[in-house]
Amino acid sequence: MLQFIVRRVLLLIPVLIGLTVIMFAIARILPGDPVSLAAGPNATQAEIEALAVEFGLDQPIWVQYGQYVSGLMQGDLGTSLLTRRPVAADIAAYLPATLELVFAAMAIAVLIGIPLGLVTAVWRNRWPDYLSQVAAIGAISMPRFFLGLLLQLCFAMWLAWLPLGGRLPIIVIPPPSVTGFLTIDSLIAGDWTAFTTALSHLAMPAIAMSLSPLATIMRMMRSSTIEVMQQDYVMTARALGLPRRQIITKYVARNAVSATLTVIGLYFGWLLGGTVLVETVFDWPGLGLYATKAIISQDMMPVIGVALVIGLLFVFANLVIDLLYGVINPKVRYS
Amino acid sequence: MNSSSSLSLSRRGLLTMAGVGLASTVFPRKIFAQAGGGVLVIASGQDIPNFDPHTATGYSASFFMRNVYDPLVRVSGNPPEPQPGLAESWEVNEDGTEFTFKLNPAAKFHSGNPVTADDVVYSFGRSLKLAKGNSWMIRDIVTPEGVTAVDPATVKFSLTAPYAPFLQVLPWIFIVEKAAVEENLGSNDGETYLMTNTAGSGPFNVARVEIGTLYHLARAPEAWQAGGGNLDGVVWQIVRETATQRLMIERGEAHIAVDLTSEDMDSLEGAPGLVRVIEPEYRTFSIKMNTENGPCADVNLRKAISYATNYEAILDAAGYADLMIGPLPHGILGHDPELEVYRMDLDKAKEYMAKTETPEGGFTLKMMHVSGLEQQRRWALIMLDSLKQLNINLEIVPMNWPDMVAACRSPETFPDMFPVYQTANYGDTDNIAYAAYHSSRNGNWQNAVYSDPDTDALIETARTEIDPEKRVEIYGELQRKLVEDAPDIFGVLERRKLAMRETVQDYQFTPVASNAIEAWPLSLG
Repeated sequence: MLQFIVRRVLLLIPVLIGLTVIMFAIARILPGDPVSLAAGPNATQAEIEALAVEFGLDQPIWVQYGQYVSGLMQGDLGTSLLTRRPVAADIAAYLPATLELVFAAMAIAVLIGIPLGLVTAVWRNRWPDYLSQVAAIGAISMPRFFLGLLLQLCFAMWLAWLPLGGRLPIIVIPPPSVTGFLTIDSLIAGDWTAFTTALSHLAMPAIAMSLSPLATIMRMMRSSTIEVMQQDYVMTARALGLPRRQIITKYVARNAVSATLTVIGLYFGWLLGGTVLVETVFDWPGLGLYATKAIISQDMMPVIGVALVIGLLFVFANLVIDLLYGVINPKVRYS
Repeated sequence: MNSSSSLSLSRRGLLTMAGVGLASTVFPRKIFAQAGGGVLVIASGQDIPNFDPHTATGYSASFFMRNVYDPLVRVSGNPPEPQPGLAESWEVNEDGTEFTFKLNPAAKFHSGNPVTADDVVYSFGRSLKLAKGNSWMIRDIVTPEGVTAVDPATVKFSLTAPYAPFLQVLPWIFIVEKAAVEENLGSNDGETYLMTNTAGSGPFNVARVEIGTLYHLARAPEAWQAGGGNLDGVVWQIVRETATQRLMIERGEAHIAVDLTSEDMDSLEGAPGLVRVIEPEYRTFSIKMNTENGPCADVNLRKAISYATNYEAILDAAGYADLMIGPLPHGILGHDPELEVYRMDLDKAKEYMAKTETPEGGFTLKMMHVSGLEQQRRWALIMLDSLKQLNINLEIVPMNWPDMVAACRSPETFPDMFPVYQTANYGDTDNIAYAAYHSSRNGNWQNAVYSDPDTDALIETARTEIDPEKRVEIYGELQRKLVEDAPDIFGVLERRKLAMRETVQDYQFTPVASNAIEAWPLSLG
């Protein structure tokens, strides 16, 4: 197992190299002149050139790449051309908000999607099944940002239950940062007001992001449950007269979840990459907003940094999922 | 909020506003009760990039500097007038090359140390050395050797040449505490340190920062500035949607909103408890033509286009704005309101068209605009329509801003028409004239291609002439010359649109950096 983990972590290296190479290539291909833009309208030609030298942009692309990689080894993700802030510090500031959103969305999707899939499989071809199938198709095909707008209309305007955007209103002093997740930090600090406020801000964007994975997880869970229920051992258990509830919880659910895990892993990356629109709709100060701003001004270091971090998290998420297979089904061997 | 009256808004705007409205229903209005009577909340769309007064740029950074740091000289009023800042008084020699400033003995940094001439010398030296941020304003005029400490409370500037706008430039060069920066120099003159730390003497200091969300400045306990308002602090809150800013100001969740659109202003008309500030400022919006390459290199074609343009339509599309009279903004030193400029006149347009090599038209010009900016798109359509009358086709190309900036690098890549905003960064004509028409700016987007030795000479003479009357004369000549050359279609001056609660007192409009609000004089009633 340890060998498996080591191998998977080593596999990260080519993935990251690939990501950096692609991002550098894109930066080179793109038209536009980020240096002039960053230097400002009043910069002289000499100043623009000095800025290019300062950021190493006068060097051939492979030299720039080499410098970037050697910085990367020391945890340096470069400096934003536009704000002159270190990218690593920016990402550290923005990442927790995005992760909180992604984890919350994932939690909703898993906690509702898996039981719902199980239920619809058991009640196959009856009305709850049909109803949830139709709802699932709707949820999968609905764009997230549009769903976000609909939620705002419903829960913010008509029902007046939830705030529209942001993470906390300015009157609420955020709890001391431990995890960077406002909900968890406020629990740690024992600050209930901050917790409920943070939760109310988190609810809508998390729901908007969760619906599509929820529906997919549900459908996946349903079909794998149906498949498992037709296996010989389930038939045997039934023939032996084991209680239906016991068969489903003990034998069927476990096996069906393994297949669904893969989908969950893939969705983690999908959610990370897809926060841009939802964060914009909800004014959520996360990586998505940060990346959008950088992309618009062709500030490549932040863009590469965000792509790397998302890629890294994606690979880790899948590693965790792979390890979970073994936890859920001891028959899985890592070799 | 009455939802039926909001339905004319965009769906997005409606939703956004609804949500904010909601936020305040869910979290009752204890904002200001909790924050104390004196915390002013400014809603703005722009984040503060970093705290270093010698590298950061943008209006959000200007807001930060104006409140956390002090310059030698402040600026306020309309027209903008230099006021004492760190310097309580100053003297100028006869030919305008030597300025001597007496520092206010009360002035001290947040550390408690007094502000000395050494700090001033150090700050100017640092700004020039880093050559970033606002240093372009003093480049070639102030040299590191030219700033000297006569005694701890006196600083002398020996300029390389007489420079009329000097006092107008000083409000944008801020003074840092030498000792505090030198302790934290690192490998880059303290850039890393000052990015997130401050070493200023301004009336406020940083109390709380949530990057991308809010910047809370609290009144510095050792604030030495005399007078001022009753504010305990000021919050710069990032609100990206203008519709959201509008609703916040309506509901009293923000005291000032700085990025409102004309539509927002319309809907705020008559709103209870609100004051709308709609004032002309030194900010021009015109269409530059390629005077070096392509058909527009012919001055007769440029004149024909200038006469064919439908200025009324351009004004209509601009919202709260005034048509420009020539190249300079209204009210700025030397602006000539009587200047004869182009207005729509098809006969004259055709007359000039006849003088070109292609009197019958029949060719296509290219106009770029920033994709997604509705007003620029409308202007492009107006130009399309106007040019049809000369039998000229217009190809409209929406582009990203970085791509447009890149296109400005050479006359070959510069389009035939290019719409651009130009903001005065300091309150002197020299700023606009130099940025927009001096050939040294060629290759930059503010003046990508226009180059004329006579124009250059006029601009240079005006900046070294210290007699205001003579400057007015020179700028008059410059305006006539530019109208004759017609490098731009002179468009509009958009008015600055701010909305504030009636409780904000003692606000005074200044036509430079008017959305980077100086909070010190303000009070909350």
